[in-house]
Amino acid sequence: MDGHFNAFTFVNRITVIQPGISVRGSYFIPEDIDAFPQSLAGEALGQLAAWAAMAAVDFKFRPLAGIAGTIEILAPVRPGQTLELSVELESVDNEATAYRGAAGADGIPVIRLHNCVGPMLPVEEFDDPQALRGHFAVLSGNGSTPGGFGGISPLTFSRDGGEPGKSARATLQIPAASAPFFADHFPRRPVFPGTLLMNLNLQLAAALAAEIPAPDAGRWNLRTISDLKLRSFISPGEQLELEATLAGRAENCATVVVETRKGKKLAGSARVSFTTGDRP
Amino acid sequence: MSNENITKEEIAAIFPKVAETMADALGCDVEKVKLDASLIGDLGAESIDFLDIIFRLERAFKVKIPRGKIVEEARGELSESAFEQGGVVSDAGVARLKTFLGEVPADRFKTPLKSAEISKLFTVETFCKMVIRQQRAAAAAGAKPA
Repeated sequence: MDGHFNAFTFVNRITVIQPGISVRGSYFIPEDIDAFPQSLAGEALGQLAAWAAMAAVDFKFRPLAGIAGTIEILAPVRPGQTLELSVELESVDNEATAYRGAAGADGIPVIRLHNCVGPMLPVEEFDDPQALRGHFAVLSGNGSTPGGFGGISPLTFSRDGGEPGKSARATLQIPAASAPFFADHFPRRPVFPGTLLMNLNLQLAAALAAEIPAPDAGRWNLRTISDLKLRSFISPGEQLELEATLAGRAENCATVVVETRKGKKLAGSARVSFTTGDRP
Repeated sequence: MSNENITKEEIAAIFPKVAETMADALGCDVEKVKLDASLIGDLGAESIDFLDIIFRLERAFKVKIPRGKIVEEARGELSESAFEQGGVVSDAGVARLKTFLGEVPADRFKTPLKSAEISKLFTVETFCKMVIRQQRAAAAAGAKPA
């Protein structure tokens, strides 16, 4: 199967669209994959926003992951479920797209995005505008055939520094360009998806949180990601340094700052909040 | 658009909120955000931070700030070709910028000045003035009879 619009595509159908204003759609999570991280539900919302933004500027520019003010993690999702996606565009022009969105499955809210901003870049640098127009017509019609996403081969990092309960460092080797998702993200310029990077950052943050004693012998649950900012493109084969640092601790809350560096340059950062107890 | 009539009092009135907004966007202490600080040179802002700051200022002050507005307003009635050619700001363009960005010390204007480096001139006060202009524009639009 051709990777384009399959290997890293998380919108099967656009059900309602007001270009530049709002868009709704859906994505069926293939049953035969091992897991579907919540960060990919966020990716699905970002992709739905991107379709609406591209349609609003006649596919001359496309947004890329940049800023997420707040991401609420509400419930897990599993293979075989259908994500119902909803995005409100706050603004679209040739420079940037601002939006918010929510995804749910089986009537249960899964993730909410607030105050997201994606810088707009020329579509032609990343993809074939005609191919995008064609696929947009498919999505806006009967939809695409579900099942194109085959899961992500486990991306691992080697934890190689830090102080237990206070900080954790790790080295991450980005896969080569032959990794399937690069054929879709993007055909003309492979870029490591920011949502996958964030997923790895969250794993490191969760590993650090697990070293912090939780009240009443409970466990820390990921609640929100805030001030997420991606500063540079990450290409196939690059090596990154990940760092998670405990930034604050209250009785039922722990905040971890995650940072990703390419050499000395900060490539991305976010604040990750964990709380104990049931989800609200 | 002239900006000489933006008073120090107007700037002082919004500066604390602008400084807090910028500190949040840049992840730095608010004390570091001085009125004359250069966003790139002193505060380490990158292009993604400019976007972040503009959208945060829009939400904080409930104004709309079109991207590229600073340069567009600085250019005024000068045509694009009279303002810059081949990616370099003309002498007339530099003169316009020095007037429009009166808060920027003269020695920060390099010669030749590349268009891509105009944003290196911007200070915290530049953004305060931008917010005030948009507040005035919104007030003027709201005051117009239907």
